[in-house]
Amino acid sequence: MIRLVCMLALMIVSAANARAQTFADSPLTIDLAQDHVDITMGFNGADLVLFGTRRGAGDVAVVIRGPEVPAVVRRKGQVMGIWMNMRAITFRNVPAYYDLALSGNEADFAAPEALRDNRIGLNTLDFRPDTRLDRTVVESFQEALIRNRQLQGYFPLEPRRINFLSNDFFRADFRVPPNVPTGDYLVQTYLIREGAVVDRRETRLRVAQVGFNAKVYSFSRDHGFAYGIAGVLLAVIAGWGAYAFSRRD
Amino acid sequence: MQIYLPIAEMAVPVESILVLGTVVGFLSGVFGVGGGFLMTPFLIFMGLPPAIAVGTQANQLVAGSLSGVLGHWKRGNVDFKLGGVMLAGSVIGSVVGVVLFKMLQYIGQIDFVIPVLYVVLLGTMGAMMFFESLMVLIRSKGKPASDEKPSLLTKPFFQALPYKMRFPRSRLYVSALVPATIGFVGGLLVSIMGIGGGFLLVPAMIYILGMPTLLVAGTSLFQILLTTVITTIMHATANHTVDLVLAALLIVGGVVGVQIGVRVARRITGAWARVALATLLLLISFQLAGQLFIRPADLYTATVW
Repeated sequence: MIRLVCMLALMIVSAANARAQTFADSPLTIDLAQDHVDITMGFNGADLVLFGTRRGAGDVAVVIRGPEVPAVVRRKGQVMGIWMNMRAITFRNVPAYYDLALSGNEADFAAPEALRDNRIGLNTLDFRPDTRLDRTVVESFQEALIRNRQLQGYFPLEPRRINFLSNDFFRADFRVPPNVPTGDYLVQTYLIREGAVVDRRETRLRVAQVGFNAKVYSFSRDHGFAYGIAGVLLAVIAGWGAYAFSRRD
Repeated sequence: MQIYLPIAEMAVPVESILVLGTVVGFLSGVFGVGGGFLMTPFLIFMGLPPAIAVGTQANQLVAGSLSGVLGHWKRGNVDFKLGGVMLAGSVIGSVVGVVLFKMLQYIGQIDFVIPVLYVVLLGTMGAMMFFESLMVLIRSKGKPASDEKPSLLTKPFFQALPYKMRFPRSRLYVSALVPATIGFVGGLLVSIMGIGGGFLLVPAMIYILGMPTLLVAGTSLFQILLTTVITTIMHATANHTVDLVLAALLIVGGVVGVQIGVRVARRITGAWARVALATLLLLISFQLAGQLFIRPADLYTATVW
């Protein structure tokens, strides 16, 4: 009995040791210059910088994923000359925001399976549609969704470049647009050797309104009625004030 | 200079918003229309989600219409009793409108229905007003100008309606159902389209009720004021779609514009003002109609919750 306990203890301790060793030996290390994007009154987009080191050779890919949300894509058709929305497909698990930085060319970056398994690249994202329509139709809707998101700045038009400051030290620069969706983001970094992912690291990023903006937002959600009254009062005071002011001419 | 809107969650240029508010306020003061039919489409065009454009616009209209009403009231140009009856109808209309708006959003037809409503309403009102005003102008060349308008109230259908009430200021004796229904439609339009409804109220008051022109602008602003107060509160409570920062900016521009407009209004004679308004309505109506028939650049649109 005691021997069993001692053996178990030994196994646990050596396993813990091994883990500690892999952490120190890990080829990839990353950190964000700032792990939150604060949206203030004068927010007009923000720069996001990720630093990292890699031990040994290999390509690096950094992916920024926003929270997953449903998206509805509608296609217009003509009815008696008027263009109106006819068919709609809802896609689940669409990232509200997606951005990508690679240390090499996208074309031959890694084996397609590696890219697909890790969802690196816009064409590897699998949006689940809520319909059993023909595959080609769904694809055209999906392409339209990606196109639409790209136009609005939520998806990248092409991957960014990772800068290597020395043989092992790199940085990835991103820029988020003013209309960046709020929420908890995931920043995932992959190390690729000979077409396969050998290491991955993950860190969190929080995009949220702060200060006055945040107070207004929570006031509007938690106390909708009072907020409405406040809006009306604001308008009444302004209207009355302007009238009183003009009367003094 | 950009400012970030907390509810809309996007940044907009401050200057454009201020100018837009002023122009719209000016129209409000001159014609007694809310100006929302310019403001809401413009806000949506700038990228604001339609629900927030509609809700915030209602808030802005409160300020503009109050400022204008006070001006008209001072000159004794508001019929409060009539406005009150219309209000009863417009409260119900607003509630129905908010519900309809949500339904249309859900089935994804909101950006089809709103332009169609605009085209139909603006087109009809604009055309009617245009021809009628032209007739008055042409006729007045030969004989002394008289501000006579044919009133629908003389028709037997209207005479037979129940619940007649006296409205001394407008010198009317008419069934309360008539102004109440006009109010109902007004309330509906405010909450679905984000407009004041003035361009419907003004012709309705002139042609259906036969009110004196001088009272029309003030009373319609009074009606718009009360309707938009209710709609703002409802949109804020039910949908959380009123952005106070945007509203504040629009209000600043709007109240300035309205005061200028009220002054200008006194110098313009009835028929010419109606021709100008009618032309504006027709232009916007044609523009929107054209867009419905032109093949859009991208057949696909995407909405994300």
